[in-house]
Amino acid sequence: MITRRVGRFFDERLGTGAVLRAAFKKIYPDHWSFYLGEFALYCFVLLVVTGVWLTFVYDPSTTGAYPSVLALGRNDPIGYLIRQVHHWSAVVFVAAIIVHMARIFFTAAFRKPREINWIIGILLLVLASLTGFTGYSLPNDALSGTGLRIGMSVALSMPFIGAWASNLVNGGAYPGPLLLPHIYTIHVYFLPVLIALLLSLHMGMLVLQKHTQFARDESVVVGRRFFPDYFLRTIAAFGATVTVVVALAAVIEINPIERFGEYRYWLVPNPATPDWYAGWLDGALRLGPAVEWRIFGHPVPAVFWPGLVLPGIALMVIVAWPWIDARLTRDTAYHDVLVPPSAAPWRVGVGAALLTAGVVLTLAATDDQQALALHVPIAALVTVDRLAFAFGTIAVGLVATVFASNVRARRDRHGAESERVIVLVRNEQGGFEEKPVRSA
Amino acid sequence: MNTTLLATAIVAALASAGAAAARADPAVVGLLAALAFAAITIWAGSAALALRAPDDCTEPRQRPAIAQPGNEPTLTRGGVFGRIWIFAIGAFGLATIVPIVSLGRRARVAVGTVWTAGARVVTEQGRPLRPDDIALGGVTTVFPEGHVGAQDAAALLIRVEDNAMLTNHAWAPRGNVAFSKICTHAGCPVAIYRHADYMLYCPCHQSQFSVLFGARPVAGPATRALPQLKLAIGPDGYLVARGDFSGPVGPDDWNRPA
Ligand code: FES
Repeated sequence: MITRRVGRFFDERLGTGAVLRAAFKKIYPDHWSFYLGEFALYCFVLLVVTGVWLTFVYDPSTTGAYPSVLALGRNDPIGYLIRQVHHWSAVVFVAAIIVHMARIFFTAAFRKPREINWIIGILLLVLASLTGFTGYSLPNDALSGTGLRIGMSVALSMPFIGAWASNLVNGGAYPGPLLLPHIYTIHVYFLPVLIALLLSLHMGMLVLQKHTQFARDESVVVGRRFFPDYFLRTIAAFGATVTVVVALAAVIEINPIERFGEYRYWLVPNPATPDWYAGWLDGALRLGPAVEWRIFGHPVPAVFWPGLVLPGIALMVIVAWPWIDARLTRDTAYHDVLVPPSAAPWRVGVGAALLTAGVVLTLAATDDQQALALHVPIAALVTVDRLAFAFGTIAVGLVATVFASNVRARRDRHGAESERVIVLVRNEQGGFEEKPVRSA
Repeated sequence: MNTTLLATAIVAALASAGAAAARADPAVVGLLAALAFAAITIWAGSAALALRAPDDCTEPRQRPAIAQPGNEPTLTRGGVFGRIWIFAIGAFGLATIVPIVSLGRRARVAVGTVWTAGARVVTEQGRPLRPDDIALGGVTTVFPEGHVGAQDAAALLIRVEDNAMLTNHAWAPRGNVAFSKICTHAGCPVAIYRHADYMLYCPCHQSQFSVLFGARPVAGPATRALPQLKLAIGPDGYLVARGDFSGPVGPDDWNRPA
């Protein structure tokens, strides 16, 4: 009754009824892997909701930050849970983005006309990681403070503008009085606003271009209506995300700052390991060569290579991937139909190699703990990790390529037997005609 | 089934709120909340599956209508937007660099630290140290007197055998040798000392510095020795500094004379 009244109110003024009707009827293709991006989206929702709450208890001053977060201890169940949910959503957020991206990569969803959304997705991953890192730094505990110092040292290694940028963020030399207030503004304002903007673009483009599908018909979207089918599914996706994150937050304590103590630039907990998504950069710093070259008399800090050049190259390759892929496949046509990963075995190989590189670097970020547990010298582990980074990635890539081409060969043999689906397609005269659709 | 699930969600949500208000253990509050959301998830998921709606509804796909040559929208039409506009926009963009650059200038970075000649070496608690206060193989964090916690001033005071130092022997009176505690790699505190091989370890990326060789890096990613603090024994018998560190403290940047 009341919904009808409200609906009519807006319909009379804005004509929303027709828009909603069209939106409800819109067809979305369905596959379990299409929900990965939604998990990320709902993590962001959780982050915003819990984050707004946290802004009312957090004190961004250098002396007030640590006590204000410490106050959210176990004897304050609401504050404790909200902070735990916030941190857990952040780590699940980045994980969901990466798994979603892997799905896009291996099924070649980035092909024309979706290159723009691929790049926006990469930007979202970068922004999500930066937001995670800045948020991780806010409690000003000994562990995150150390991470922030390392981050500032990497920023300092930017050619020529490094000292300027560090001054800017710190309001002086490290650790400046304005460091935390600035990190706070960046964390609660700049980055989330950028994420929200890009997320809107990301999803707006999805609606505009229509989602890709596995059903092999390029001319129609095959799937389910938004309402009620997809609506119920997305509620389930939301519920599942919240359930998992809240249960994790309730049971496993993340970032127990009371055990690290407040940050003093001369104190550090041992072992010192960052949140998981920053691990690959920390690992890169550990494996980086101990070289300090001079370019035109200027020292090039050792952290410059693993801290900026390596992630820069990785990012450039991933951003350029749709064009590299198009060149390798000699295919610049429009594609709305996804391929099974095995359709291009070398793509599987490249993806597997990239993921392996990430895993090796992430593991390297705990090499001191491994050395302790395995009773081997750290130097030996560093050598092993360097070799794994250089050659292990290639080996895994080759094995994955061979594996994928075997799968493809088997698929080709059984391809003819796959089930056939008939769909009705509207023809130019307005009538319907039957069209066979072979599902992948 | 549906009613049971929704009832579960409602009861669990209320119970969670009640537990929170009663300051119950966060695990209880959280698991009740998770239960509420799990019930919603199962409700929505089973409702979606129960629809048995076909998943083969279709909707045509259209390619963007691309403008044909001669029909393209253009900014130069009617001479309103000439090429000069591009330069104008570029010039305005370039001009914004000045306010941006000015931001980072606000604060000047101090050169060096507050260590000065004659400054007494004190512990974190502010207690001055005599040459024999640190036992052989011992290590402690020190600051200049009156400046505990001062930026970049933290140093590690290590006690080695009287004649053990292989470099700058004169800077280490009675085996008291001090180095900057800030790693030259990425700025972590070099927190661990092992006397067996006179090695300093950085816990962040495992750089190792050899104390006897003036904290020269011998393993790990660091490239520069930890700057040394020249020590002496003051007239009152306490350890004092003979000046600032022997080099720039902390990680390098491109403009720093290293
Ligand atoms: S900060 Fe010391 S090894 Fe990197």
